[in-house]
Amino acid sequence: MNRSQSIEALQRANPRRKAGFAESVQAAGDAVRARVGTAAAGSEPRTSFPRGRLMGVVFAALVLAAAAVTAIWTIGSPGAEDATAAVKRAATLSAAAAERSGTAVVRITHDGKLWAGTTIRWRGADLAVRSDAPRRRGRPGSELLVVDGTVYGVEPGRGWVVQGTPENIDPGSGTTPDEYLAAVREDVGGVTLRRITGGMTGLSKRSPDDGSTVYSGTVAAGEIARETGFKEGQAIRVFPFGYVAHDEAANPSALLDSAVTVGANGAVREITVSWGTTASAWRYTVTYSGLGATPAPTAPANARPLRER
Amino acid sequence: MSDGERRQRFNALFASYSSDIVAYCGWRSRSASDAQDAVADVFLAAWRRLEELPAGDAGRVWLYATARRVIANQRRSRRRRDALHERLVLEATFVPQEPTSEQALVHEALRRLGPTDREVLLLAEWEGLSPAQIASVLGCLPVTVRGRLHRARRRFRTAFEELSEVESDLSVRRPRAAVEGGS
Repeated sequence: MNRSQSIEALQRANPRRKAGFAESVQAAGDAVRARVGTAAAGSEPRTSFPRGRLMGVVFAALVLAAAAVTAIWTIGSPGAEDATAAVKRAATLSAAAAERSGTAVVRITHDGKLWAGTTIRWRGADLAVRSDAPRRRGRPGSELLVVDGTVYGVEPGRGWVVQGTPENIDPGSGTTPDEYLAAVREDVGGVTLRRITGGMTGLSKRSPDDGSTVYSGTVAAGEIARETGFKEGQAIRVFPFGYVAHDEAANPSALLDSAVTVGANGAVREITVSWGTTASAWRYTVTYSGLGATPAPTAPANARPLRER
Repeated sequence: MSDGERRQRFNALFASYSSDIVAYCGWRSRSASDAQDAVADVFLAAWRRLEELPAGDAGRVWLYATARRVIANQRRSRRRRDALHERLVLEATFVPQEPTSEQALVHEALRRLGPTDREVLLLAEWEGLSPAQIASVLGCLPVTVRGRLHRARRRFRTAFEELSEVESDLSVRRPRAAVEGGS
């Protein structure tokens, strides 16, 4: 029996195919109409404007005002166009190298403390993703590997387990090694890098002693937290690699402080986006290293087949 | 939005997605009446938050996420009263009235999965959600969903194969046993 046969059997058992399902929908419709009718007659619908969102709008307005001031100072000033061109050059160079290999360390801090983090290494079609988050669901230090088209994961008490090989994964299921790789590389590789740097405005420049150059400006939250989703029934915006954008970052039009650090070699070394207030300060950082020179992850030596379970 | 527009939008939403939410609440709830309550709660929440509800497929994902939360609340409120709750849920949900042989195997294979594996597998295979949409419903990373889905599919296949082999052995042995018993 192949994998498709078992999944086809599962799909045939879908409750929608059971006799009486249409009647269940009809009954549910009656119940819903009764509940909604009562609610509509008893009170107005909830049209609350969450306080956090209101604060976000206020903050966004303040940031916009600040950005306008910044723009007045930077437009026409010598070097502004150079800064934009330099960041784009660095992004192009980095993105080309990132197509081959790289390491990206993604961190979100809140009031200076680590909130969530992931380290990703990739080379060609091989990939390693490690969770470094101290307080997220799941296990800090848990790792997922894709090596030579095989997916490996760590299971508690069992160690490394082979989770899938190309012959038993349906193309288009969203879970093939190639699909993993495409999703991760889009999040941390060239596409995101180009989009963030391309969206930065009001650039100014400083040069620390280590030979790097830091370009600072603002970027619309929607350029970074592009994905939308729902968590516990609430609409959310999501940063690359699945982290929920909190406070102002959830408002796509809010302008967030951003900085791109270009190393002495001309490649992007770090992207930092920060927002919030002194009472609740957030920072999202992606630090790149080994672009074009990161070694491939290796398959775990003693990985067990999943079937042993 | 005027009252008429609200009602029009709500009716369109219900017409589009009621069967999805009825199906989902059906296999997630412990009884038909709980499922019906959950569906009503979900659409009541949708009615109250209609202005915030996104259009199109994102609205469908919102309904799934809300349904999941409603059912979780139902379970929490009952957990203290019923220590065998999870087991009852499984039996009520996955044992159909008169299952065919294949359906019985599927339900038994599902019963052998952990709750997390089962939920992610059924959101994909029965509800037709993508890994990204499942991540939105569960409130976790898409990459995590992909991993869970991998594992769940493999485990389901393994369980289904084992059960099929047992079923096959039994069907071979049954006639012989009848002959032996009659001799």
